[in-house]
Amino acid sequence: MKIREYSVRDIPRRKFLELSMKGGLLIAATPALLTQLVSCQKGSVGLSGPGIDKDLAARVIAKALEKGGDFADIYLENRVSRQIVMEESKFKSGLYGISQGAGVRVVSGNKTGYAYTDEITEEKLMRAADVASYVALNSTPVSPVNISETTRPSFVTVSQPLGDIADEKRIEVIKRADQAVKDYDPRIKMAMIDYYDEVRSRIIANSEGIYIKDELPLLFFIVQAMSDDGKTRHMARERLSNHSGFEMFEKVTPETIARNAAREAIEMLKAEDAPAGIMDVVMQNGWGGVLVHEAVGHPLEADNISKGIGAFTGKIGQKVASDCFTMIDDGTLPNFRGTINFDDEGTEARRNVLIENGILKGFMTDILSSKQLNMTRTGNGRRESFRYIPIPRMTNTFIEKGKDNPADILSSTKKGIYVQSLSGGSVNPVTGVFNFTCRESYLIENGKKTNPIKGATLIGSCMDVISNIDAVGDDLEFGPGICGKGQSAEVTAGQPTVRIRGINVGGSKA
Amino acid sequence: MSTGINMKNTDLTEKLVDRCISLGADAAEVFLETKRNLSINVLKSEIETIEQASYQGVGFRVFIEGKMGFSHCNDFSSKSLDDTISKAIAFARLSTPDENNVLTDDKGITTIKDLYDPAITEEPMDKKIKMALDLEKLAMKDPRITKSAGAGYGEGESVIYIGNSNGLIKSYKSSGCSMGVSVVAEKGEQKNTGGEYCSRVFFSDLVPLEEIAAVASRKAIELLDPVMINTQKAAVIFDPDVAMALLRGVISAINGERVLQGASFLKEYLGRQIASPLLTLTDDGTIQKCLGSAPFDGEGVPTVKNVLVENGFLKSFIYNTKAAKRAGVKSTGNAARAGFSSLPGIGTHNVCVSTGKHTRDEIIAATKKGLFLLELTGYGIDSVSGNFSGGASGFWIENGELVHPVKGITIAGKAFEILNAIDMVGNDLDMNKINTAPTFRIAEMQIGGK
Repeated sequence: MKIREYSVRDIPRRKFLELSMKGGLLIAATPALLTQLVSCQKGSVGLSGPGIDKDLAARVIAKALEKGGDFADIYLENRVSRQIVMEESKFKSGLYGISQGAGVRVVSGNKTGYAYTDEITEEKLMRAADVASYVALNSTPVSPVNISETTRPSFVTVSQPLGDIADEKRIEVIKRADQAVKDYDPRIKMAMIDYYDEVRSRIIANSEGIYIKDELPLLFFIVQAMSDDGKTRHMARERLSNHSGFEMFEKVTPETIARNAAREAIEMLKAEDAPAGIMDVVMQNGWGGVLVHEAVGHPLEADNISKGIGAFTGKIGQKVASDCFTMIDDGTLPNFRGTINFDDEGTEARRNVLIENGILKGFMTDILSSKQLNMTRTGNGRRESFRYIPIPRMTNTFIEKGKDNPADILSSTKKGIYVQSLSGGSVNPVTGVFNFTCRESYLIENGKKTNPIKGATLIGSCMDVISNIDAVGDDLEFGPGICGKGQSAEVTAGQPTVRIRGINVGGSKA
Repeated sequence: MSTGINMKNTDLTEKLVDRCISLGADAAEVFLETKRNLSINVLKSEIETIEQASYQGVGFRVFIEGKMGFSHCNDFSSKSLDDTISKAIAFARLSTPDENNVLTDDKGITTIKDLYDPAITEEPMDKKIKMALDLEKLAMKDPRITKSAGAGYGEGESVIYIGNSNGLIKSYKSSGCSMGVSVVAEKGEQKNTGGEYCSRVFFSDLVPLEEIAAVASRKAIELLDPVMINTQKAAVIFDPDVAMALLRGVISAINGERVLQGASFLKEYLGRQIASPLLTLTDDGTIQKCLGSAPFDGEGVPTVKNVLVENGFLKSFIYNTKAAKRAGVKSTGNAARAGFSSLPGIGTHNVCVSTGKHTRDEIIAATKKGLFLLELTGYGIDSVSGNFSGGASGFWIENGELVHPVKGITIAGKAFEILNAIDMVGNDLDMNKINTAPTFRIAEMQIGGK
């Protein structure tokens, strides 16, 4: 087993199967692979499929705690998804998926038992409860409290529900983006467009008495543009994603997304080899926040802290970053891709200040780690689907805006790299060592952005990077991504323009 | 639910193909899958999680006048199945026709022995838990290992059924199991992690716990006390553990569909020399007892052994049925599916770099100055542009000897320069791994340090 490297990407179309323990099994179970798979959104989902009522939930929870244990919950999910892919101006596929199922969890001390079923019947749920309760053998049983309906505020508004949108409208959006990419420049040879939407319904009930449900729509739209001038090639990417209805495309048009991708594709044809060695890096506002998502966010998730191995273990209240650095995780930002209303354990989403002016303030917890660390629940217990146990995950994570003028940050940097966008990266949560791949970046010479450079890797350690941030702009912006931690989660990462002194850049030119 | 091949599911698959046709499809493919899995994680000599489940699902690929639609569901009630098929058909109607949208009619099955081990299920849960607990304990034996990041045991088995309207109906079952552990070595402010796993088709083939534990422990310890090096050009020796992290981009670049789209740095290189004569790369889905093997691919095309690169020459791209038709060639049996919810894409089975003649020690001894690379982060070679840049750690070599660990450096280059600079290949190939390579050396790469 490798220490699972936590990774985040700006929504790639293809996911690599990591040959981790789970990966090995997945490969055993599905032939081939290892390299790329055609984009498979793990999505599934089902309309208003069978639910479970409070009484059935109570019976399942009672069964789950029959052998003992401290806590039990049931998570029922129904997901309806649509994915349409266009490549080379042709529809490559239209994909419709329904998936539903329920998982039963039993927590006994530090132990977690979990079983799930894709058949929502009392018999199957009771069997899942029985299997999950294995870990609680020989412990003292607790009696569950009565279950009652619970409500939470919603941070997701919808004016054009996805269920009401005809497939023709989805197709029109894709065609518009394709046309806009092709119209941009003759050196654009191909557009690849991925449209995905889903409606995920959840019911969560637990032995503390909650019974809560909601429905979250999610849209995402990825445009890739490939340029080729006969000498070199670049695949550019731009994305848009929100928990929203179809009105998302009125606020930001498909053409805007398409032209941004095309612009990058053409611009990067001029890229020269990147320099190698340690240098100053200015990161443009927006998705660059993924660097702190990886480098600082993952190490602040409480599971590795409660195991006593995380990079920030025992550092609450200590100075861990420079004074100008404040970092926040907020699951309540209206309609953002990382917004959740309540997490997949039923805990209300909130704004959590993680690091304030350089001082470590808190970790992101789920129910289990909050109990183990005796900390409050922060609403970060998330899961990819009913096939997974909830673990601490980020939502919308960002560096809070500072006081510096972005133009001044650039002009006061004599020499270095200006990173306009990153592909993604990963971190080892124990050592805090991270790496990132630049997708669009430029040389900085005498305080000015000059030539674009080919995708270089940035590496460093989380403690160094947050101590070496010496300028934070006032231009906070966000970008959508997929975060992987054994299971995937939809997130946003954000930041204002920042400067980091002394990062190791992996170029091919000395 | 039983995971043996069962006639009920074979019949259901065939019936569903017919159902697609009667609901309006011209042609159809049904991919049905049943699965069972178990995962046990332990931490600090205690069970941390036990997860288990059995499940099933079905995916429908339907064609109407050359237009394709796909849908999937995991509810096998006839109403749900009918609804799902109808959605695929509705989607197909909105799509664009493509003359390459065809299904295979190859009824062949490659015979591969030993893809399923019934003993995995029969071994008791307590034994599996104890193996994970023992593995963690063994990996913590060295006093320099200060913490455990957990150990685990996992297993899975599945049966896949594929049927299509060309009269094809095939199925096979497979299994796999794995053990792994990850530990932390600390020294002062330094922290280093090391992990190792073993995955096999057969339970009895899992390597002894002592071996897995020893590797994890060694990996955590060996990179303590690193020394930073200067930015320079030098030789880089790739350990088998990191070879695939580099070559992944080459494998993506031989994806026949990407080649047709022009999105591959190898698009114009079929039959030409792309690498040093020392490089031979094969993809073989037919290896007995191998986790990447299967009697047929994700569309039902029989698997074969494909030579991709031979003595430095690019011999073949890889295809599924659709991309092959477009290229005017035969499918290479490389339709890859991530389960019932995904369309067949293109992927490899067991990729293998052929061995050379040197021992690992000879390669190190022949290196005057360079990096023995043990860890590589990043995405490997970019399959579109051929650029490569990654984060690296390992040992620094001077005058043929490992002199000190090195961490926090970068390596970079361009695909053709890297591949042509392979000048030594080892004889140390582990055929039990799913994608595998021996140790090899790149004569010179750019290394970024202080």
